[in-house]
Amino acid sequence: MSMAIFSPKLPSFTPHSHSKTHLGLRPSYLPLRHLEKLQPPLVLSSDSASGVAPAAPEETSAVESLGSNGSATPPPVAVESVNGFQDARWVGGTWDLKQFEKDGNTNWDAVIDAEVKRRKWMEDSPQSSNNDEPVVFDTSIIPWWAWMKRFHLPEAELLNGRAAMVGFFMAYFVDSLTGVGLVDQMGNFFCKTLLFVAVAGVLLVRKNEDFETIKKLVDETTFYDKQWQAAWQDETSEKK
Amino acid sequence: MASIALKTFVGLRHSSPENNTTITLSNPHRRRTTQFRISASKSSPRVTGRNLRVAVIGGGPAGGCAAETLAKGGIETFLIERKMDNCKPCGGAIPLCMVGEFDLPLDIIDRRVTKMKMISPSNVAVDIGRTLKPHEYIGMVRREVLDAYLRDRAATAGATVINGLFLKMDLPQSKTAPYVLHYTDYNSKTGGSGEKKTLEVDAIIGADGANSRVAKGINAGDYEYAIAFQERIKIPDDKMKYYEDLAEMYVGDDVSPDFYGWVFPKCDHVAVGTGTVTHKGDIKKLQVATRLRARDKIQGGKIIRVEAHPIPEHPRPRRVLDRVALVGDAAGYVTKCSGEGIYFAAKSGRMCAEAIVEGSENGKRTVDESDLRVYLEKWDKTYWPTYKVLDILQKVFYRSNPAREAFVEMCADEYVQKMTFDSYLYKRVVPGNPLDDLKLAFNTIGSLVRANALTREMDKLNL
Repeated sequence: MSMAIFSPKLPSFTPHSHSKTHLGLRPSYLPLRHLEKLQPPLVLSSDSASGVAPAAPEETSAVESLGSNGSATPPPVAVESVNGFQDARWVGGTWDLKQFEKDGNTNWDAVIDAEVKRRKWMEDSPQSSNNDEPVVFDTSIIPWWAWMKRFHLPEAELLNGRAAMVGFFMAYFVDSLTGVGLVDQMGNFFCKTLLFVAVAGVLLVRKNEDFETIKKLVDETTFYDKQWQAAWQDETSEKK
Repeated sequence: MASIALKTFVGLRHSSPENNTTITLSNPHRRRTTQFRISASKSSPRVTGRNLRVAVIGGGPAGGCAAETLAKGGIETFLIERKMDNCKPCGGAIPLCMVGEFDLPLDIIDRRVTKMKMISPSNVAVDIGRTLKPHEYIGMVRREVLDAYLRDRAATAGATVINGLFLKMDLPQSKTAPYVLHYTDYNSKTGGSGEKKTLEVDAIIGADGANSRVAKGINAGDYEYAIAFQERIKIPDDKMKYYEDLAEMYVGDDVSPDFYGWVFPKCDHVAVGTGTVTHKGDIKKLQVATRLRARDKIQGGKIIRVEAHPIPEHPRPRRVLDRVALVGDAAGYVTKCSGEGIYFAAKSGRMCAEAIVEGSENGKRTVDESDLRVYLEKWDKTYWPTYKVLDILQKVFYRSNPAREAFVEMCADEYVQKMTFDSYLYKRVVPGNPLDDLKLAFNTIGSLVRANALTREMDKLNL
């Protein structure tokens, strides 16, 4: 069964979620949305209609209705260039850090935001990987403290705050019940154990689901071993 | 962030190539269960008047190598294969060590792949292969050529090659009674449908692949399997030049939720495919997505063949029963993460045959289950670390899109490339320099944390 499946390059429809308005004023995204409006009549060819864009069904119907209105037929040139992720700051397959500068320093938060949007876009509409425009962006160019500041610190603040509140009231409660003050509580081995358990618990278990996750992880790590040793378990039961 | 830290913590312990820890974990288990293994071969009765008869069902790499080793060991060998020119749907990649270990002639190898490109869900492309030495490569073969060569070599060594379809076997009633095989012989001149025949043998090696009938005959149990779906596409010469010595691997939820999509070069065309265990029903959709990701590079191509095959994910619960042993895909010896099976099939066939030759003292004595368990034990001991490490890699890095992004990022590291290729090409898991391992572990966690942080931001965009 041979069939020629590859017709001349068709750009894929970019399902740009309109909920992005909450991100506020991001001038770089206006051109993208503008281009998107020009695209409607061009839809994926029939043979790949089922597969590629996950939100294909409702998107194509919306597109067809726009197309039939005789809306702007895009010039072929603009269409060709939208194949792939387009952004003014995305140069040569990576983010041009010079364009992210604020007061002479790179605004790493903006770089992170830009990469997040790019990945979201790529996940929603997978693109063909191209040799002429390879993507070479590596997240490690963003320094570790930028990641800390953005992701770790807020969460750490939250957890420490909770721990402090609970700790204060527990200390007060134990003191009122047993008369043992805070300094003496810290000296007691039992209390120290409880404290250790509490800290470990807070780090490992965030939500109720985490219990299940941990149990599943333990099962997962030993499952493959069990499958391999099945041939030997057999022998044990036979010999018995 | 801590729940992700938990996942990566587990990953930390296992993703570093030094597996001293994993080996010590698994050893105590096996010591307990194998203490009672009896070596009964020396007390087995002698076979009078003839040599031991062994049938090898299935003439692929496993069967061919097993039959050759048996025949060379002086055992009367019967190799039963149903389709001599079987053009198997297969990636066709063999590691460098296979060429040396099995004395393969170099003209069997169509192509030498020395470069690989890994492409992440967001199309970050990483080239690997910089660390390969000039004489190192991954060999790409055509299965019909390789399988036929191994079978012919077995025949030259003295095995009787039978073109027939194995139907069923009658289990023996006593320890010395023979197995009776029922098969349809296609060789005879009686016309198209073949003639039903029986064959009496003392032991059987089941090398008949993922849907093994021998396995059914001994109630070996089932395994989970992946479906690998592949389209062979003939692309224009200028595009083929790019794939001259380069293979590509695409990862992403669109391409496969638990495996990867690939573009492998074959003799004069490329094979574009993907696989999955959990979403077998969506395989066509995944294939379309794979073709889309590779679209620019395979444009203008024509599909010349569509094929699919099952890939075992883990060994069957029972691999040996009495005087029947399973090898290759029938036993389920396909690695996770890379899905490699040819080398392990051939090696297990050889190892099983060697155990039979040794246990029967070159065909003079009968064998029993304990001799075949020698093969199992040797196999598990030699290759368990490889399988376990690949399993861990699959669990950690094929979990989700951020894990895959981290995976591709890690592949850019030279140390990773060196360790990966060393373990793939020579089938040795070599513990590397501990300092480098530590740095690698650090970088792995870093990549995973960053990728997962970005993904959580992505999820926030959805709301």
